[in-house]
Amino acid sequence: MHDKTVRRRRAVLGLLVVLSLLLLTAYFGEAPKGRLHAVQRDFLSVVSPIQDGANKALKPVRDLFGWFGDTLHAKGQRDELRKELDKLRPELIAAQAEKRTYQQLISLYHLERLGLSDYHPVQATVVGKSPNIWYQVVTIDKGTPDGVRVNDPVVNGEGLVGRVVAVESDGAQVDLITDSSMGVSARIGTSSATGLVVPKVGEPSTLLMRYLPANTVPNKGELVVTSGTVAPPDNSLYPPGLLIGQVSSVNEESAYTSVNVHPAANLHNLDVVAVLTSGATGRASRLSSLLSSLPAGGSTGSSTQGEQLASAGAGG
Amino acid sequence: MNSTPSPALLGRVAALSVVVVFFQIGVVSEVPVLGVNADLTPLLVVFVGLLGGSTLGAVTGFSVGLLVDLALLQTLGLTSLVFTLIGYWAGRLRELRDPQAALTPLLVGAGASAAALIGYSLMEFLLGVDAPVSLELLRQIILGTLVNTIVALPMFAIVRRALGSALPEDPRRRRRRRAYTTGGLSPLTKA
Repeated sequence: MHDKTVRRRRAVLGLLVVLSLLLLTAYFGEAPKGRLHAVQRDFLSVVSPIQDGANKALKPVRDLFGWFGDTLHAKGQRDELRKELDKLRPELIAAQAEKRTYQQLISLYHLERLGLSDYHPVQATVVGKSPNIWYQVVTIDKGTPDGVRVNDPVVNGEGLVGRVVAVESDGAQVDLITDSSMGVSARIGTSSATGLVVPKVGEPSTLLMRYLPANTVPNKGELVVTSGTVAPPDNSLYPPGLLIGQVSSVNEESAYTSVNVHPAANLHNLDVVAVLTSGATGRASRLSSLLSSLPAGGSTGSSTQGEQLASAGAGG
Repeated sequence: MNSTPSPALLGRVAALSVVVVFFQIGVVSEVPVLGVNADLTPLLVVFVGLLGGSTLGAVTGFSVGLLVDLALLQTLGLTSLVFTLIGYWAGRLRELRDPQAALTPLLVGAGASAAALIGYSLMEFLLGVDAPVSLELLRQIILGTLVNTIVALPMFAIVRRALGSALPEDPRRRRRRRAYTTGGLSPLTKA
């Protein structure tokens, strides 16, 4: 009895092993279009609907297991991404700073193409900024050896930035146009009405254009540019046509009209500026000589009052 | 011991095999754990062998292997061969040693999983599959064995419950009953 059981057991094992090897050999040896492959495909076509049904029925179970797995995986990914973010953040900051500098350099290049090269612009990097909102002052890395002098206008690609107020051998101090000590004679758009642009009291980042004739009708959004008027001895420090900002609103006053001006230059993000080293004196002397050659009649008569007011206000 | 499986047992094993294979394909294969998937099919084969004997283990191994090969369009006979040997080995283990320790399913499951993974890899290499023997393969085998070991105990409980009373008589239970009836350990005999 025992021998019979053992023989049968071994026979079953041998049969199954031989059957497996036969299947293996036949399957491996035949072409993909052979009989066993066909059987396999037929079997698949029969069980596919069952498999699909089972898949759909078991989807909640799969999703449940998957949720645990995904959560663990997501936590791992989150930690990896945080590390990557920490690594990339300084690179991003450096890249953004470089991009900003590049954009400002491009703007300066365009500015030079607009004719400011006559004023011998000296490119300078802003190396220090006043942390105090009430002192709108920056320090640049160019000084006396580079031809920078007190009262030289300072611009960037967006427009007027300020003027030099102190010069050393290795740097200079620039008062921004929003500093309380500043005043720039300016005009609105292409009109002949001039006024004085000064910082607005209580709003250091906004400008106020004052002393416009009462009959002036400025429109919101109009550009405000330097007038560049010349009336010795109160010559404007700034070349004409330099963009200062845009009219943001109009204030009605009794004798004069005044408008609020939003500065064109982003004064919070100054990296590269240009100092117009012959702006204060060279241009004035050139225009003075031009004026003297004109016939008498006072072509700058209308601007004289504004310039005097501007000079009285802040020397602009 | 009667080594011929009863029709009821064969029916239960067949039903369980189909359910486990589809569950494996539909759910378990799509839920990676530690970067690998658990494989319930060798565990099923080895536990059927452990509970039902070598003949049933070998037949179950062959059938489950064939089902897997057919359903997954794998080389026919490959999984059958590996699983047949595993099922037979588990059955012989029961018949010769009759291990009763609580951790037996865990160890047998781990051994069977490792044997299945290694055997399958060896067969693939013998058949000339163009794949390098790499650390990744070793990692897959080790992690696969580990994950299968984790699910071995619950899988054993499921298989034992599914086959239930259709199983051949449990040798441990038989010995216990014999002890009671012959009076050796029965408290009734002391009275």
